[in-house]
Amino acid sequence: MFFVLNAVFIITALIFTTYLILTVFSAVTLRKYLRKNSYVDYNSIVASPLAPSLSVIAPAYNESETIIDNIRTLLSLYYNNYEVVVINDGSKDDSLEKIIEAYELEKVNYYFDYRLPCKRIRGVYKSRNRSFKKLTVIDKSNGGKADSLNAGLNVCRNDLVVSIDADSIMEPDALLKLVKPFMEAKEKRVIGAGGVIRIANSCEISEGHIQRINLPKKFLPRAQVMEYTRAFLMGRMAWSELDGLLLISGALGMFDREIVIKAGGYSTETVGEDMELVVRIRRYMTENSLDYDVVYIPDPLCWTEVPSTVKVLARQRSRWTRGTMETLAKHRKLFFNRKYGKLGILGYPYWLAFEYLAPIVEFLGLCWFTFLVITGRLNWPFFLLLLGFVYFFAVSLSIWSVLFEEITFHKYERRRDVLRLVGTAFLEPIFYHPMVMLMTIKGNIDKIFNRNKWGKMERKGFGKN
Amino acid sequence: MREKLTYRGLVLGLLLTALGALEMQAQEPGDSLLSDSIENVSQAEQDADSGLSQYAQSLIKRFDKSPLLVTILYIVILYSIVTMITLLIIILLNRRRLEREEKLMDFLLEKYQNLLMNYLFEEDRKEEAFKELEEVANSRINRQILIDQMIDLSVNLKGDIKEVIQDLYIRLGLKRDSLEKAYSRKWHQNVKGFRELAYMNIRDANEQIILSLNSKNSILRMEAQIAMVRLSDGNPYEFLDLLEKPLSLWEQVTLHELQIQHNLKVPDFKQWFGSENVSVILFALEMVAWYKQRGVGKEILDLFDHEDELVRNKSYKVCGEIGLKMALSSMSKKYPEESFRNKLEILTAFTKVPDEKYLKFLKNVLDTEEDVQLQIEATKAMENTDEPGISMLIKLMKSKSEYKNYQIIIRHVLDGRIY
Repeated sequence: MFFVLNAVFIITALIFTTYLILTVFSAVTLRKYLRKNSYVDYNSIVASPLAPSLSVIAPAYNESETIIDNIRTLLSLYYNNYEVVVINDGSKDDSLEKIIEAYELEKVNYYFDYRLPCKRIRGVYKSRNRSFKKLTVIDKSNGGKADSLNAGLNVCRNDLVVSIDADSIMEPDALLKLVKPFMEAKEKRVIGAGGVIRIANSCEISEGHIQRINLPKKFLPRAQVMEYTRAFLMGRMAWSELDGLLLISGALGMFDREIVIKAGGYSTETVGEDMELVVRIRRYMTENSLDYDVVYIPDPLCWTEVPSTVKVLARQRSRWTRGTMETLAKHRKLFFNRKYGKLGILGYPYWLAFEYLAPIVEFLGLCWFTFLVITGRLNWPFFLLLLGFVYFFAVSLSIWSVLFEEITFHKYERRRDVLRLVGTAFLEPIFYHPMVMLMTIKGNIDKIFNRNKWGKMERKGFGKN
Repeated sequence: MREKLTYRGLVLGLLLTALGALEMQAQEPGDSLLSDSIENVSQAEQDADSGLSQYAQSLIKRFDKSPLLVTILYIVILYSIVTMITLLIIILLNRRRLEREEKLMDFLLEKYQNLLMNYLFEEDRKEEAFKELEEVANSRINRQILIDQMIDLSVNLKGDIKEVIQDLYIRLGLKRDSLEKAYSRKWHQNVKGFRELAYMNIRDANEQIILSLNSKNSILRMEAQIAMVRLSDGNPYEFLDLLEKPLSLWEQVTLHELQIQHNLKVPDFKQWFGSENVSVILFALEMVAWYKQRGVGKEILDLFDHEDELVRNKSYKVCGEIGLKMALSSMSKKYPEESFRNKLEILTAFTKVPDEKYLKFLKNVLDTEEDVQLQIEATKAMENTDEPGISMLIKLMKSKSEYKNYQIIIRHVLDGRIY
């Protein structure tokens, strides 16, 4: 008992200290990044013939509502040398027909090989209209997101690929910011880069572009704004500096095509293909003794619609949990393996303990708490003190992240929005977090019982916010 | 967005588990550091007179737990609440400051712009405007705004007026500010200083700029390069001889854009083909291609044997870009021993410099290579030779090869809709 109690106290103190260290780390890194970036002129590469050619790969499944606008956004990004490859993953709606009509497409005699395994490609389409010459559309049998990305990798030709969800809205200068680390690379080869994903619910969107940024009106998406702000401005920023980044969001990331192909492309055996790919390409580089970097850019690069109902959120969180479990299990060799450097010593153990096991420990704690309440053995004054301790510490960290957002990108211009975000920081631990914790437990149960569905993400469509 | 920074998650769980354990332990005292309440009670009784003990006793009475633990929790709660309130105040004040600064900046910019315009374009109000500008330049912030405004104007204006701006910059003593920044110990100040001096054509800090050419800080290094190009008279790329650090692609693009924007004198870039800095050779090759510089054939052929794969790759690319027919033979000989990337570049060069003499070589590539991109590029090169190549492709399409589906490759290449 003596050992257990002291261990629990020490671990708790360790966790608090870790989060404080991460906060300090991200603050320092953010400051450094912003200062450096204030002298960067992105305009010089917008039209430069020397800038590398890129392929933007966007898989789409039943995205009929938004696909036309989203392709338009992709075609109007600030960059000179790029192609857009949209993959219709066997949609059951009229996505393909709509694209064909809107962009004047016809089937072409496109030659490619199945270098990466993927479902049958039924056809490759190009436009008769030269204004859309950047656009290539692949029609294939349904095989999921990872399968579609592999199809895109088989068909595209450029050295750098950008994977993006077709239902996300990219910032016009996203490609410029993503390509910069690849162009700056010297001794180390940059194999992947990701950036900040922002939440588009309630924003005013027209023709595939964000016209006005608003904080979501509903509590559920607003709580996710808080969650994303913390994760992107504090967590990933710090992990990027510590070289322990295990995830580049599937919503937007740029990769070295050659390395992705050599490492085997996206895995179709997991629902967390984005995380799994990053871990695998990092492993590939280490195992082949190649120096590399995975870069994180704290700039907001992409906007996405997040679940606004409990049902859809539950499906998403279950999928994320299963994806994490699958990746951690598949790459368990990394665990405290010095051969993999910081990835093995810091990154992997952190994910295992803090991201995967945390909700389980929390759930067990809640069960234990319930047992004590029922049996009348709970020390209520001390419980309330502990609760206050956890609650106020958590809220203060959330408000730190609001401050980071305020002094960095300042996306919410109205004072009212910022105050509502602060208000959300107070409500989130009470209403939102326990719900997400239970959803994560469900993800564990789903995995154990092999319920491995991707889960349908019902979107309202940006125009209908 | 997978990781969520589940701060409260693990912590809450652990604490609740701890709480339960502590509660149970309270019924079996004596073995925990954290629940030494009984010991503390007796300890507290012994020192009942001291304030600290009274405090400890009151905690024990209220929580039935170790006073040390309770105190730590109190401190963290207090720290968190104070942090929350402080941050909230900072957030609101920062917002107010930004709004005020924006308004003030708009006002000052308009005011200074008008003064500068009066000085530059209204001859009869020139001296009056100068006096006002002198008054304005009494604080560091105002001087900085003035310098920024002058730089903006000098970018947008051409001819003699640029010299008038430079003269005003010196008369107002703004040069001193820029030099201070250039010699500052802070790199971001150096960047500002170099930029201002370069725009105002002041060479007083050239030594410092040259020192920064090989700085570890990439931003400072790049700014020094840009300043050197802007401040040069004859050869804007003279600094390439002094460069020890690699010139990243980002830096190369920035320099190239600078060259185009300012219509700088274009040197003979082949002079850097022998540089020990590989990135300098790559930049020189890129520039030779861009400016289609002639008389570089022999030097480029020498680079085919360079030990660096990227240098060879770029040399092949340049041959295609400048249409160097004399290089085709050497490239076809180098092809078998090259990497995939370089093979692709060689074939692209053959596409850009079509020559029917090499149809046999290209057909051989098409037959032996398994990679789609190499096959397509070889076929494109054959097609580009016009009549002889196209008729060869048509013949291949009609043939029924068992080991290669020519039809699908050739149809791809001949499909004009695939750009």
